[in-house]
Amino acid sequence: MPVPVSDLMLAAPQWFVLIMTCVTLLVSLWSGKKASPWTYGLSQVTLLGAVVITALMYDQPRTVAFYGNMIFDKISALLTIFVCVITAFVLLYSRDYLKQHKMAYTEYHVLTLFSALGMMVLVSSYSFISLYVGLELFTLPLYALIALRRDAAVFAEASMKYFVMGAMASGMLLYGLSMLYGATGTVDIPSIASAIVGLPQGQHLIIVFGLVFVLAGIAFKLGAVPFHMWVPDVYDGSPNTVTLMIATGPKIAAFGLVVRLLAEALPDVHVAWQHGLILIAVLSIVLGNIVAIVQTNIKRMLAYSSIAHMGYMLLGIIAGTASGYSASMFYTLIYAIMSLAAFGLVSMLSRDGVDIQRIEDLRGLNARNPWLAFMMLLVMFSMAGVPPLAGFMAKIAVLEAVISVGQVWLAVVALLFAIVGAYYYLRVVKVMYFDEPIKKTDIELPSMDMRVAMTINGLSVLILGMFPAVLMGLCRAAF
Amino acid sequence: MTDVIHNLTIAIVFAPLLGCLLTGLWCRIMPTRMAHAITIGLMSLSFLLSVYVAKLVLFDGGASNSNLYTWLISGSFQFHVGFLVDQLTALMMVTVNFVSLAVHIYSVGYMEEDKGQVRFFSYISGFTFAMLMLVTANNFFQLFFGWEGVGLVSYLLIGFWFNRPAANFGGLKAFLVNRVGDFGFILAIAAVLNYFGTLDYVPVFSQMPQFAASNPTMSIVSGTSSSVVSVISILLLIGAMGKSAQVPLHVWLPESMEGPTPISALIHAATMVTAGIFMICRMSPIFEYSATALSLVLVIGATGALFTGFLAVVQHDIKRVVAYSTLSQLGYMMAALGASAYAAGMFHLITHAAFKALLFLAAGSVIVAMHHEQDMRQMGGLRKYMPITYLTFFIGALSLAAIPPFSGFFSKDGIIEAIHAATIPGAGYAYICVLIGSFVTALYIFRALFLTFHGEERMDQHVREHLHETKAVITGPLLALAVPSIILGGLMIRAMLYPTDFSLLGHSITVLPQHDVLRITAEEFHGVWQMVLHSVTTLPFWFALSGIAVAWICYGRFTTLPVWMARRFSWIYRVLVMKYGFDDFNQLVFVRGGRRLARWMYEVTDRELIDDTLVNGSGRAIEWLSLTLRRLQTGYLYHYAFAMILGLVVFLIWVIF
Amino acid sequence: MYIESLVFVVFSVMLIGSALAMIVSRNTIYSALFLVACFVASSVLWLLLEAEFLALILIFVYVGAVMTLFLFVVMLLNMDIVSHEKGAFVRYLPVGIVLMLGMLALMMYVISPTHFAVLTSVQHPADYSNIKALGAVLYTQYAYPVEVTSVILLVAIIAAVSLAARHKGNRRSQNIDVQLAATKGDRLQVLKMPSEKFSGASDIGGPEQPARGE
Repeated sequence: MPVPVSDLMLAAPQWFVLIMTCVTLLVSLWSGKKASPWTYGLSQVTLLGAVVITALMYDQPRTVAFYGNMIFDKISALLTIFVCVITAFVLLYSRDYLKQHKMAYTEYHVLTLFSALGMMVLVSSYSFISLYVGLELFTLPLYALIALRRDAAVFAEASMKYFVMGAMASGMLLYGLSMLYGATGTVDIPSIASAIVGLPQGQHLIIVFGLVFVLAGIAFKLGAVPFHMWVPDVYDGSPNTVTLMIATGPKIAAFGLVVRLLAEALPDVHVAWQHGLILIAVLSIVLGNIVAIVQTNIKRMLAYSSIAHMGYMLLGIIAGTASGYSASMFYTLIYAIMSLAAFGLVSMLSRDGVDIQRIEDLRGLNARNPWLAFMMLLVMFSMAGVPPLAGFMAKIAVLEAVISVGQVWLAVVALLFAIVGAYYYLRVVKVMYFDEPIKKTDIELPSMDMRVAMTINGLSVLILGMFPAVLMGLCRAAF
Repeated sequence: MTDVIHNLTIAIVFAPLLGCLLTGLWCRIMPTRMAHAITIGLMSLSFLLSVYVAKLVLFDGGASNSNLYTWLISGSFQFHVGFLVDQLTALMMVTVNFVSLAVHIYSVGYMEEDKGQVRFFSYISGFTFAMLMLVTANNFFQLFFGWEGVGLVSYLLIGFWFNRPAANFGGLKAFLVNRVGDFGFILAIAAVLNYFGTLDYVPVFSQMPQFAASNPTMSIVSGTSSSVVSVISILLLIGAMGKSAQVPLHVWLPESMEGPTPISALIHAATMVTAGIFMICRMSPIFEYSATALSLVLVIGATGALFTGFLAVVQHDIKRVVAYSTLSQLGYMMAALGASAYAAGMFHLITHAAFKALLFLAAGSVIVAMHHEQDMRQMGGLRKYMPITYLTFFIGALSLAAIPPFSGFFSKDGIIEAIHAATIPGAGYAYICVLIGSFVTALYIFRALFLTFHGEERMDQHVREHLHETKAVITGPLLALAVPSIILGGLMIRAMLYPTDFSLLGHSITVLPQHDVLRITAEEFHGVWQMVLHSVTTLPFWFALSGIAVAWICYGRFTTLPVWMARRFSWIYRVLVMKYGFDDFNQLVFVRGGRRLARWMYEVTDRELIDDTLVNGSGRAIEWLSLTLRRLQTGYLYHYAFAMILGLVVFLIWVIF
Repeated sequence: MYIESLVFVVFSVMLIGSALAMIVSRNTIYSALFLVACFVASSVLWLLLEAEFLALILIFVYVGAVMTLFLFVVMLLNMDIVSHEKGAFVRYLPVGIVLMLGMLALMMYVISPTHFAVLTSVQHPADYSNIKALGAVLYTQYAYPVEVTSVILLVAIIAAVSLAARHKGNRRSQNIDVQLAATKGDRLQVLKMPSEKFSGASDIGGPEQPARGE
């Protein structure tokens, strides 16, 4: 039973990234000290190529390949494109930071690319095995990336925490998957879904048991309460560019994980995972928004905000309808874009080897650099869900989904805590615009391409908010 | 051809937006000349294209209705950005673009010494964009966008000289009064969405006959039931009343004269205020099914036409005279719509756009020459200093007073005849109003003419020395507008009002047979010159002529007479000067009462109840909670691992049991 | 069968016991050795399931390679006894035990054999090759996950190298082409010195010494 060529063609974006990453590694090794432009250029070519290939393949019909291990559908294509684009932006934003902090340049790029590859594998996996290896492939480089900066012990600590807890979560996920395998006798996602339909009522218990472990693993990857403990420590303890990486792409990949595991493999125990997710979502929204208020460190604040956002994202999944899934997808993509801009700005502001730490450090940013302040303003307003920015549309979409299945109280809770959340986002804006700057000096701007990218990134939040139909349509088409 | 029209419409609508953005975004650094070139260039492009589109639509029978972009899909509702181009739209596009272009050019001269010129040009281009969005919309949603857009820019422009308190007050007043109308409008849109499930014109209008036949009712106050069609129509009417300054929402228009004069011409005479008229014409398929709403439209319009006309007689500010005259003319248009003579309303809208813009710009020309003096008591005898301005103002005045064969005569006579022929409740009252109105119209405008251009020179020495005709950029648009003010009516009347083989409005307006007053009056129409000759035997003509005569007697010949009159009939005079007390009433009830209520709300409910107890209370509670929860984040790995396992067990119990 | 059950029970107890001992033990070397015992016990359990290949690979790779390396590291770093954090361990032990018992009860409630779909074990003939069966599916049916796994290994190598190669100065690397390209001139310096007359130690190293190599 050889693997058909057509299957290989379906995996084209993945092997393209794999081969090009190896090429990047080798070229960087052999070009010695002059490596950095090559490393950077090749990495961007890799990601761009993957985007182009996936976009060209986008209209192909939904196909299962590699003996049911991989699937090409609109979900995988759209998520792959976003993973690649966002990783490309991450690399762009990281460039100066890496040089200033003398981080291992080639390793950073190569590991980031491998992580992106893992995300691509994950979002297009169609069996538990490929799902799990994809998950490992995307997380393993992240552990290493955090520890890549060697000038302080916090990074090693964060890396260790992330690694140990990640291993625990992986263990839980794997245990849950093994339960599901035990109950159904298969690891293929569609076979599991059909096997569950045929199961007698008594055997559902074991599936629900496995499901809880799976949910724990998912919640960990999303960074949702009560498996969120790593989020603030790791976001805070990682170098800014790595935080940027962890806060953006993995959310998209985790969304893929949620969809494959819950929506596609276990649609028939929807009621059970709905219960679990309601708890996770409500806890995340409440805890994330509340604890973010007292944070003085901007990265920790954004970390708690990400916990809350993941709670909102789960609302659409809870609805369990096609429009709910597409709303969640929209939310995830918008969140990734906002988060990209927020952490991108944070790492851009960390100039001259000094990281920006406290929200106070942003004081009077508008007076020092109106452009940076305005971009931050857009992102903060969008995260707070102020119309007409993208965050507002995303919130509307998930709330609509959750209301349409009759869970009005969830929507009310979500809205109430969105108001609480607005406080800490607006505080950033207040600090930037209304407080006197500590230092009056102008901020040296990054290079032109970074500025252009950041402008595109910031304005996309505005444009996607005013004209959400295109992206919303793509998300709808995926389900 | 449909595609051509669609694509051209996109260009027409977005060219002014481009101009607005280019000049607006770089308004601090852009040279004035460049801003002029950009905005006027794009405006000319838009105008020429709209003329071409009008040719395609009106003469070649083209039409287009397609969506450009789907803005949002929410459940079963879809919100589009799309363009519906039919005869009505084409006429409006040409009118809007023509006046807008004239105003752009005129403003080059008028705003010459102003520092904020680039911003000004950006605003007026933005206004044109919003207005074009409004007239080209193919759905209520986009209509509302344009509606709010023009409202916003109008606010910005009235308050353009933002360091003048009166300008800020005027802008605010315009904005607030318009909000009242908008509230009705948005309710109407909500009702349409609720009952028809879509906001696109075509499906709504095509469902209308069936819908009205089923006579649906709704209960607004519990226990009563009212016809849904009437409710929607009346809500739409409230929207139109705000934007088109109908009694009692007319109070903002005179205040809006604090803006630069070109704005008064562009927005507050020719385009924005006619949005309400246009909207009702567009919605004729809805209004036709509600006799109640039509009567209301008729009565409100006729009342406005007469009573705001009286106010113009006692004004001293030349611009305010023209502003009140606008109110009165809008009343005429509205009354025509109420009588189901939509075509007459549209016709008057178009001729009015020409002659009222002309009057405003002529008044502006006078104001420029007088060094921004607007009080007519300080003018007089300007005729010999400013012959072109005098001539054009005279033409405008004749047209406004409906003296044949000027444009205004045809349109206004059409309206009066239509109302005469109408049979719906209130038509008799309306006929009397508009008839007397034609006397008043002639009186106030010729009063202004005599006070400004004739009689003794009352200005001070300094101003007199510098008096001379204004520049070509100002007089050019005046002359350009004078031409349509003279001939437009005669040219268009047959095609607009009494179509035989060629109709300008075509089928873009719906009139039920039992309301079709224009068909009745058409029987008496035997051609343009016939109508002019016949006019000497009609009442309106003699009313208008006597108006001019009285104006001449009072202000041209026996100038002491008005003073004596004001003293003799002081109570009437006082009522008129106080504008029937609308402003005082608003000031007293809404402004002061609102303030007092607000203060009470602020002190008792807001500061004590909400701020202290609820907001700060919950804020404090959340902060406390936040600090407490934060302690959970200890930083110890084994705590975290423990929390994970604890969470897992809790989840197991929660999900399994 | 009776013997199989006996083997199962013995090695299961050994597995659980050594896992516990590994956690509790305060001597790192003992911990590592208990881990080895764990591996051995579980490989026996795998043998019971006729998964010979996995059983052996576990012994070879984990016991033979990984754990040996581990022991080396532990011995090299001389971190034999972990004394700190003992308080926390004892303090949280009761809660931990309660939690564990709860979990156990839940599992026993939920996981009973009736719930599982895969129960019947297939009787294979004596010449059945576990390796062959694995090989047949690994590179066909599971080619995709296997390839991805190999990428994971590659990432692990890169990550390990990039984390381990800490400082530039610490690296002991050969530069082979430089070594090969070395000529006599690079290694040998011939100094010209005037023949010295022994006149006392005082003028050795004096300024007139021509100590310049060419």
